[in-house]
Amino acid sequence: MNGPSIAWYLAVAAFLFGTGSLGVLLRRNPLIVLLSLEIMLNGANLALIAFARHLGDASGQIFALAVMAVAASEVVVGLGLIVALNRKRVPLDVDRLSSLRG
Amino acid sequence: MIVATVGNVLVWTIWMVAAFACLGSAVAVVTFWNPFYSALALIGNLGSLAVLYLLLSSEFVAAAQVLVYAGAVMVMFLFVIAYIGPRSDSPWAGGPGWQAVGAVLAAAALLVEIIVAIGLKAGDRLADSADIREGFGGPAQIGRLFLTDHLLAFEVTSIVLLVAAIGGVILGAHSRRAADEVPPL
Amino acid sequence: MITGAWICLLSPLAAAGLITLAGERISRRTAGYVATISCFVAFGGALASFIGLLGRGGEERDVVSTAWTWLSGGSYRSGFEILVDPLSVMMMLIVSGVGGLIVAYSLGYMDGDDEERRYFAYMSLFVFSMLLLVQGGNLLLLLAGWGMVGLSSYLLIGHWHERPSAIAAAKKAFVMNAIGDATMALAFFLLIKEAGSLEFGILGGEYGSTTANLVALGLLGGAVAKSAQLPLQTWLPDAMEGPTPVSALIHAATMVTAGVYLIVRTHPIFEQAPAIADLAAGLGAGTLLLAGLIALVQVDIKRVIAYSTMSQIGYMFLGAGLGAYANGMFHLMTHAFFKALLFMAAGIVIHALAAEQDIRKMGGLRQLMPRTYQAFLVGSLALVGIFPFAGFFSKDSILAAAMDHGAYGYVLWVAGLAGTFLTGLYTFRLLFVVFWGEPSAFVREHFHAIKRDVVGVSMGATVGVLTVLSIIGGWIQFAPWWHPIETWLETVAEPLVSPEGWQEGVSIALSLVLGLGGIYIAWLAYGTRRVAVPRQLALQRMLERKFYFDELYDALFYRPTVWAAKKLYRWVEEPIISGTMRELGEETRDVGGLVARLQTGLLRTYALAIASSVAVLAIVFIAVK
Repeated sequence: MNGPSIAWYLAVAAFLFGTGSLGVLLRRNPLIVLLSLEIMLNGANLALIAFARHLGDASGQIFALAVMAVAASEVVVGLGLIVALNRKRVPLDVDRLSSLRG
Repeated sequence: MIVATVGNVLVWTIWMVAAFACLGSAVAVVTFWNPFYSALALIGNLGSLAVLYLLLSSEFVAAAQVLVYAGAVMVMFLFVIAYIGPRSDSPWAGGPGWQAVGAVLAAAALLVEIIVAIGLKAGDRLADSADIREGFGGPAQIGRLFLTDHLLAFEVTSIVLLVAAIGGVILGAHSRRAADEVPPL
Repeated sequence: MITGAWICLLSPLAAAGLITLAGERISRRTAGYVATISCFVAFGGALASFIGLLGRGGEERDVVSTAWTWLSGGSYRSGFEILVDPLSVMMMLIVSGVGGLIVAYSLGYMDGDDEERRYFAYMSLFVFSMLLLVQGGNLLLLLAGWGMVGLSSYLLIGHWHERPSAIAAAKKAFVMNAIGDATMALAFFLLIKEAGSLEFGILGGEYGSTTANLVALGLLGGAVAKSAQLPLQTWLPDAMEGPTPVSALIHAATMVTAGVYLIVRTHPIFEQAPAIADLAAGLGAGTLLLAGLIALVQVDIKRVIAYSTMSQIGYMFLGAGLGAYANGMFHLMTHAFFKALLFMAAGIVIHALAAEQDIRKMGGLRQLMPRTYQAFLVGSLALVGIFPFAGFFSKDSILAAAMDHGAYGYVLWVAGLAGTFLTGLYTFRLLFVVFWGEPSAFVREHFHAIKRDVVGVSMGATVGVLTVLSIIGGWIQFAPWWHPIETWLETVAEPLVSPEGWQEGVSIALSLVLGLGGIYIAWLAYGTRRVAVPRQLALQRMLERKFYFDELYDALFYRPTVWAAKKLYRWVEEPIISGTMRELGEETRDVGGLVARLQTGLLRTYALAIASSVAVLAIVFIAVK
């Protein structure tokens, strides 16, 4: 094929995954955390698509579509939680949501 | 020949632009203070990813990415961010100091590992991609696969979406209990 | 006959179980009736066994009936079996007969007591235990019965458990009995090691002299503890804290005689260890003198009779140690009659004087309670051994037997004769002080006669029966001329000594003279108050303090043990054991606290944990694959 080989796409996917995980671990606003989570999922998607192209098997794309659907569902639920938290006047700070503290 | 070389250069150029846009917008999402700006950056990220998908001959997935992800999911995000209102974001990282260091280390480790793993195991096989047919990645092939080989995944995914929709409605509905019955967090 | 023996054994147990299970659903008096009837049923069973045994001759009079295999381990086997032979039948008759009379007496004595049902349940349990002891077909069952009579004794001495003195006395009795149990168990271990079983037959086997001596010593230890002989005699006077019928049954007629029974039953071993047998006889002689002396200064009516019991059992030990087994058992039988009689008559006196037991407050009861006085008089005469009452026939034979044992026997003979003098003295001191003279102020104030209701009849009738038995009971055997008891027990225990006719005559004459002499002195000092009682302060103090045995044991055993316990508590238990436990707990809590610090409650920490784990796992996968 033209252009970079699959390895380049995989490198981009790896960077996306790493960046997303940094965001999940280091940000305190739950919205940003969700966005970072989306980045991680997209990184995984990119890897899937790249391998689908590399092996000539479209099942990778099916997998990526399924991941997309699940990510959408998860965002729905996450945002619902955030809206509910906001309605209860809870501060939107994951560090303050520490009832599990042992 | 020249067309092939020009095609190659073109592809490379598009790839560079899309890749850097992708990475840059990802960093932007993680670092902006205003969640609204982060969401906008994510839209950019999704767009560049769609371009990358096109380069990988996955037209349907690219279209779905733009329509579903950037179109629906991100719009939902923007709605909620607007609904919640302007919020000065909390500082970068609070909590135990070891947590920030640990997070950076863990992320870096993951990154390195992925690269190393793939490099070690499959480095020599990644150069030659398979030859693909004309309709690869097109809606027809995707549709056929969904309805034959991967029917179960298709159906289960639809159930997951249904459950998420119900969950979203429940979470967002006004509670019928009085406000003072709920113990504050 | 076998059925009779089993009925005899199990009837009191059934009564105990019934009374316990019925609880408050039956009235107190019904519980008493159940216990009494069960004892008489047991007596009937014993009679049936006796008659059955009479029908057989000689060697066939040794029947063992096994119910089931009780214990079986390796090569050792013990069955739950009862033995019906002349000796056990004799004891069965005594225990169930006298026991039945005493339980009937308790119907009246314990009437109105708050915990009467518990009392009768324990009395039935005791009768069962004693019957198990005498009927046990092997040494293991004997030990089981042995322990259970100790338990019943403890339970019954402490019947009025709100009294701290009663509880202390019960504990003392149990602990001292336990010492005997321990020595007996050691003896049994030796026997198992040497002979491999605990059947009675093994006792006749050949053993080395060390083994035989050790076994006999262990058995003697048990006998001495149970029968309150030197040196383990201090528990018996304190046991008078229990109700009077308990004192009559357990500490006069039956349990304390179990030691004598044991020696007679295991006589083959004692015959192989003559030194120990001589020791037994010597201890008996020592005890009878000691008890006789102490009884001279006691002021509690029951304690006098208790020391008299101790003294009379000394006679039985003397007889058994010398090998005059039949004489010892005969004295056991007559002693059961007149000692129970004395206790029960004393109980009537105590009842009439509103539970007062100090004889210094009594006096002149002869006019107020004539029939009780007569019963007491009969019992006293029988005790001293005056013709024709029961004690005369049995005690003198033992003294005669002592003459046939060489020089050592003569020493014991002299001790026995001295004991006879003392017996006359202290017994009639008691009688004169309590019954003669003018009614004291206390008596005038507190006396109330026993009415003729169930209470009175039960107490009166049983005392009457025992009075008759004390009069005629001795005539069963008159040593040189007719001796059915000796013949009866011959198959079980052949006597080792057979005194000559002249020895019998001399013993009879001397003991009669000394007994009458004691009575005369008592009459002089206490009956008519013509001679003042000599007051020797140091001697009196020593007698009152029971020769300082309690103080000796206190200093020898109790104080060092308490001291050691306190030291151990301070230096071992507190720092090492409790400290370790406490430190373990605290350290566990600290470790838990450390682990809890991981639970920051922050979402991001948990996410970090997941990410780190994935990173580590990836490394692992890469390395392994």
